Amino acid sequence: MTGMAITLSVNGLARRLTVAPERILADLLRQELGLTGCKIGCDQGVCGACTVLADGVPVAACTTFTFALDGAAITTIEGLSEDRLHPVQAAFATVGAVQCGFCTAGMILSTIALLARDPDPDEATIRAWLGGNLCRCTGYARIIEAVRLAARTPEAV
Amino acid sequence: MDGMQIAPPPSQDAWEKVTGAAVYAFDIALPGMLHGKLLRSPHAHARIRGIDVSAALAMPGVACVVTGQDALALADPVYGVVLWDQPLLATDRVRYVGDSVAAVVAVDEATAFRACTAIRVDYEPLPALMGIEAALAPDAPLLFDEPAAGPGVRVGEGSRFVRDPAPNVLCEYGFAYGDAAAELDASAKVFSDSFAFSRLCHGHLEPHVNIARWQAGRVEIWSNNQDPFVLRGDVARVFGLPLQAVRFHTPLVGGGFGGKSYCKMEPLVALMARKARAPVRLALTFDESLLTTTKHGCVITLTSGVDAEGRLTARRAKILLDGGAYSDASAMVAVKTGFRIGGPYRWRAIDSLAQAVRTTTVPGGSFRGFGGTQASWASESQIDMIAHRIGADPIGFRKQNALRLHEPFAPGDSGMDSDLAAGLDEVSARIGWTAPRAAGHGLGIAIGLKDGGGTGNHAQAQVRLTHGGEATVSCAVVEIGQGVRTAICRLAAETLGIPEHRVRYAAIDTDHTPPDNGTHVSCGTTVTGLAVVEAAGRARGQLMAFAAGQLGCVPEDLVLDGWAVRLGNESHPLEPMIRRHFGGMGWEFIGGGAFKDPYIASAPLNAKNMFWIPCWSGAEVSVDRETGKVAVLKLIVGADAGRAVDSIACLGQIEGAAAQALSQALFEELRYAGEAPENATPLDYRVLQTPDLPAVFEGFVLEHALGPGPGQLKGIGEAGMLGIAAAIANAIEDAAGIRLTSLPFSPERVLAALDAQAPALAEVSG
Repeated sequence: MTGMAITLSVNGLARRLTVAPERILADLLRQELGLTGCKIGCDQGVCGACTVLADGVPVAACTTFTFALDGAAITTIEGLSEDRLHPVQAAFATVGAVQCGFCTAGMILSTIALLARDPDPDEATIRAWLGGNLCRCTGYARIIEAVRLAARTPEAV
Repeated sequence: MDGMQIAPPPSQDAWEKVTGAAVYAFDIALPGMLHGKLLRSPHAHARIRGIDVSAALAMPGVACVVTGQDALALADPVYGVVLWDQPLLATDRVRYVGDSVAAVVAVDEATAFRACTAIRVDYEPLPALMGIEAALAPDAPLLFDEPAAGPGVRVGEGSRFVRDPAPNVLCEYGFAYGDAAAELDASAKVFSDSFAFSRLCHGHLEPHVNIARWQAGRVEIWSNNQDPFVLRGDVARVFGLPLQAVRFHTPLVGGGFGGKSYCKMEPLVALMARKARAPVRLALTFDESLLTTTKHGCVITLTSGVDAEGRLTARRAKILLDGGAYSDASAMVAVKTGFRIGGPYRWRAIDSLAQAVRTTTVPGGSFRGFGGTQASWASESQIDMIAHRIGADPIGFRKQNALRLHEPFAPGDSGMDSDLAAGLDEVSARIGWTAPRAAGHGLGIAIGLKDGGGTGNHAQAQVRLTHGGEATVSCAVVEIGQGVRTAICRLAAETLGIPEHRVRYAAIDTDHTPPDNGTHVSCGTTVTGLAVVEAAGRARGQLMAFAAGQLGCVPEDLVLDGWAVRLGNESHPLEPMIRRHFGGMGWEFIGGGAFKDPYIASAPLNAKNMFWIPCWSGAEVSVDRETGKVAVLKLIVGADAGRAVDSIACLGQIEGAAAQALSQALFEELRYAGEAPENATPLDYRVLQTPDLPAVFEGFVLEHALGPGPGQLKGIGEAGMLGIAAAIANAIEDAAGIRLTSLPFSPERVLAALDAQAPALAEVSG
């Protein structure tokens, strides 16, 4: 299969890549770029664990062809912080929103996308927005609390 | 706003998980690693007449194909928990849709997947046994020609465990005390009711993953599991290897809930790697994990008596569990369901019989609180029904009959170590029990109960304390999301007298980690916690003895203060003192610890229960009489942590378990249509999502300080699941006058119950 030449900015680093047409974004991130923070749960775009941001928009990396994002800026969980946690990460860590952690990257990136659109979401908005991110551990109460806490943190939005 | 300060610093666990640095088995890749895929049975029950793998083998990139015949050459190629009947791959027969038939190893997953489709299996379909009734029918074919191997379950006084008591019955457990027949005869009223419990999938987001590599006759396996030492034993037995020839690495686990308890495909992956002569990774898909094990569906019939004063007298229970195609943990689930069926009440007699029935469905296995959830659902539904029938207040009736503090659960067993009435008061206050009901709303409460900590359980631990005052804890409790790394580090820090952030939890590696029995039964902080505290105490003891020797005093004269010891008014920094003696490289004070809960034959389970796990649950619901939809408006759930080492983590455990039970109550179940599951895909297998949450969802943690763990703590990981379904069923009756005895409370079931109620109402009004 012929490779396709594309450009992606991944966590701020511009990359020229040659990808097979069927190359899935999650596999590229995990297998070629070592960004294993992007988790594959259901592999069918249902659970949200693989959520990354493409130009700020949440996408399910497990069901996204890489070529379709030619020119996009991708943010993964690894791109959020260096020595200091992003306020959304900090909020999740603080209020007990993390249990097994397999959904956490997707939850955090979805939350960042939410707060970019609505810096002060009400409860109904948070519940509706996170409906595409499954968590089997927490019962969600603490995740919603983390979103509320992050929304009160000025630099989070 | 002045900006929310985020403090204190997150734990090691939380930091790794919010930054994406956390490593799961799913993330591990070895050089030269090949990939496996499994071919699964499309038949519920069929004889395998032949398997033709030639087309698959001829495909470029395919390294090998493993079939049941390869496994038959192994030393002991079956597995299970205490009864072993599951082959690594099907040999002569397949026994459920999804049964593993062949394994392909190839250069990548896509190639392995394509090669699986090229394997030709010649099946001769056999009659399927799609449920308990079909399996127990007189003319039902036998699912196994021979009884299961394995040690079975050793029980104590008042209990009996029998293998193969009847055709297609894997085992049965009987538990009795008192004279149930006489007590029921003498009762003022006797009620008999049946309850059905639905089959659930674990739905952990990280599917099962194993990577195996052979080197110099040893096999090394990276695996997401809950019990690395159990698996080490299983792989050694299957391959006829000494324990030292098997090494398990267990990194962080992306959700367990029992789904990753006990042996699954670990021996198979070792076999695939041996045949391929290369490291092999087998990562199931989410769909495949749904077909691996489930929570046991069951039917429970309870016959319970009450005397004229409203006291419970005796209970007879008949429990039929759908064990599925292979034993997995069915024997233990049968034992625990049968044992727990009385719930948190005082009975003069119990006569309980639980059978695990073999069917051609996904094997039933461990699932958060197994047996306790099934028993609590049936028991707490019936207790409410009895209260209504005799005109008693459901809370008053429970209080009247609840075990008092220290009152034994059963003859020979341990006493109740939670204040059940206090928990009832808490849940009834939070749910607003005494306030007038809003129109169309109903309230329900329940107390789930299970035993916790394990039966005769044990753990060992090691704590290493460096010259600089850092510590590493080694023990085998697996972090599956319950927060045990943080809790264990906190217990060690308390004992060592050093800050928590100076304590790290070591990676689990059976070559180095002290063993335990597995991360089950909410035992981690109690059983392993006791071993860790002992190990930490010994490491600290060595340090203080060393410092006393250097200072010419006895350890009792010294106070550890920061990373220095005080003798009188003088402070002596420890690090230079240690380096002066041991040299510049420094030193580690290494303490070992152990805990073993003794076997006691006079206890029903052959060991006294370590602690009791009550779950106080309350629900407020409304029922839409047009659509049959049940809306849970408020859900309250609480448990007793004895002492909460990490209150937020305790709440998270209680709420998370309650959410799983809420999901089961409202809609979640694995359904069969004919011989195949009809919703075993992530799209169709519906689990709770944020929009499903009740408007009010509150957990609470009580600290009754009577647990056997460090500082009187006890485990609560399974608690939140126990009482929820019954509380919701009880609330539905309160709201709509209908009693649902099967899960989930789907609109169809609600409408059917409302329809059944309608003629009676019409009669009354007419």
